[in-house]
Amino acid sequence: MPVGELPLVLFTLLTQMSVGSFVALGAVHVLARRRYPAATVDRLSDPALYAIGPVMVAALAVSLLHLGNPVNLLNVLNNLGSSWLSREILLGCAFTALGAAFALCQWRRWLTPGVRQAVAAVTAVVGLVFVWASAQVYLIPTVPAWDTWTTPVAFLATTFLLGCLAVGAAFVVAASVRTRRAAAQGARPEAEAEVDAMLRSSLRGIGLTAIAVLAVELLVLPAWLLGLANDGSPAATAAAAALTAGGWLHLRLVLAVLGGGVLALFLYRAAAAGGRRLLLVTAGSAFVLVLVAETVGRVQFFESYARIGI
Amino acid sequence: MAQQLGFWIDQQYCTGCKACQVACKDKHDLPLGVTWRRVVEYSGGSWSTDPAAGTFAPNVFTYYTSISCNHCDDPICVAVCPTTAMHKGADGIVSVDPAKCVGCRFCEWACPYSAPQFDPTAGVMTKCDLCADELAEGRDPACVAACPSRVLHYGEIADLRAEHGDRADVAPLPDPSITRPNLVITPHRHAEPTDAGTGTITNPEEI
Ligand code: SF4
Ligand code: SF4
Repeated sequence: MPVGELPLVLFTLLTQMSVGSFVALGAVHVLARRRYPAATVDRLSDPALYAIGPVMVAALAVSLLHLGNPVNLLNVLNNLGSSWLSREILLGCAFTALGAAFALCQWRRWLTPGVRQAVAAVTAVVGLVFVWASAQVYLIPTVPAWDTWTTPVAFLATTFLLGCLAVGAAFVVAASVRTRRAAAQGARPEAEAEVDAMLRSSLRGIGLTAIAVLAVELLVLPAWLLGLANDGSPAATAAAAALTAGGWLHLRLVLAVLGGGVLALFLYRAAAAGGRRLLLVTAGSAFVLVLVAETVGRVQFFESYARIGI
Repeated sequence: MAQQLGFWIDQQYCTGCKACQVACKDKHDLPLGVTWRRVVEYSGGSWSTDPAAGTFAPNVFTYYTSISCNHCDDPICVAVCPTTAMHKGADGIVSVDPAKCVGCRFCEWACPYSAPQFDPTAGVMTKCDLCADELAEGRDPACVAACPSRVLHYGEIADLRAEHGDRADVAPLPDPSITRPNLVITPHRHAEPTDAGTGTITNPEEI
């Protein structure tokens, strides 16, 4: 599997994971606030929030490697009137800036929690529009494998799947760090009880969400292949051949079902009463498996490029 | 000044000699791997059976299409370009401004005629500008001037269409409704319609 478009593979995956994580964190926050005070919720979600910014910035930086002539970088916003690439970059920068502003306010406890939540909501919406714009970039009428409704749906599915599992993994890692630190300082473990309960109910929700999004992916993938098979043009046929060559498609499916299906279900069950260690291993490996699956899938997406005409 | 220039190719008499391709490459001093004008060889065939005589006769075709940029009316290259480096200018000529281009290669992904071509050394896109410099001096574009069979012409597209019809829907070219190329083809007698899928490009490494 050649990986000629590696910068774009990384850019699309990492930005989608960032947006998905932000949205998932927001959902956890809104749901948890119904039962717990803001301070407790922040203790669970803040560490994960601070991890998103660096990932997003790294993704933007890596996208520069795709350019042959980055000297002219500032021109990329010139064609907002018709180029989805211009719009994608603008929205990506807007999401990053808003997210950074929100994280800063959250860290310094600036503004009221209500205003902060409003900023977060706007950031999440901009992020989702950004992912949608990312997909529009690939809806090129001369590239049959990309110019289909499955592209935006698959991009959004990747966003939610990677996002919720990344948040799950971040939660369990942060929780184990916190517990270790608390033990070293001789703090009462009961103080963590509320955060622990919240962690467990979040992991249950994350497990269920992952399974639901995986189901969407498992419907979209055959629809995509079927569309290519029915298209009949040489470009579509070449794309289908590229997708089914080697065992990559199977590898992706197996890893996605293992991570986003089997392990996610196990996480849902284990979150109720399982030990912290078990949760750490389960949430961590579910995320890693799905990350690998999505990477293979995205490389394959770029591999399916074939243009009509000459 | 012309409203919209375009090319006319009389495909019936094109011998596939590639003098146009070489003249273009020479005139613009194009690096290895960059070929603005290319000559596509398209071949296919089938058998026709004569049940009465119990014979099979081969039905084969090969014809050539010389293609550079068609300076389209709906240039998809211009639409997708984030920097406006790719633009439609005077005489309707579509050209790329290397001082603006960021080398993202989106135009190359999108154009169904493979007209924009990336120069890896400079890191920017390059393409046919219809020899704007020659036109300014009142001379023909290098490819047109070089064609020994006199089947490659350029001119005001409205005049070319009035005289030679309005066909550009010949395989392996894409459906002209996508970018509305300023291209007129007088089809070869064996020319297949776009998307007929009956033949293959036999020199893909040259395109
Ligand atoms: S042939 Fe291709 S490069 Fe030339 S104007 Fe049309 S779309 Fe653009
Ligand atoms: S490579 Fe240059 S001309 Fe082509 S789309 Fe990108 S910026 Fe525009």
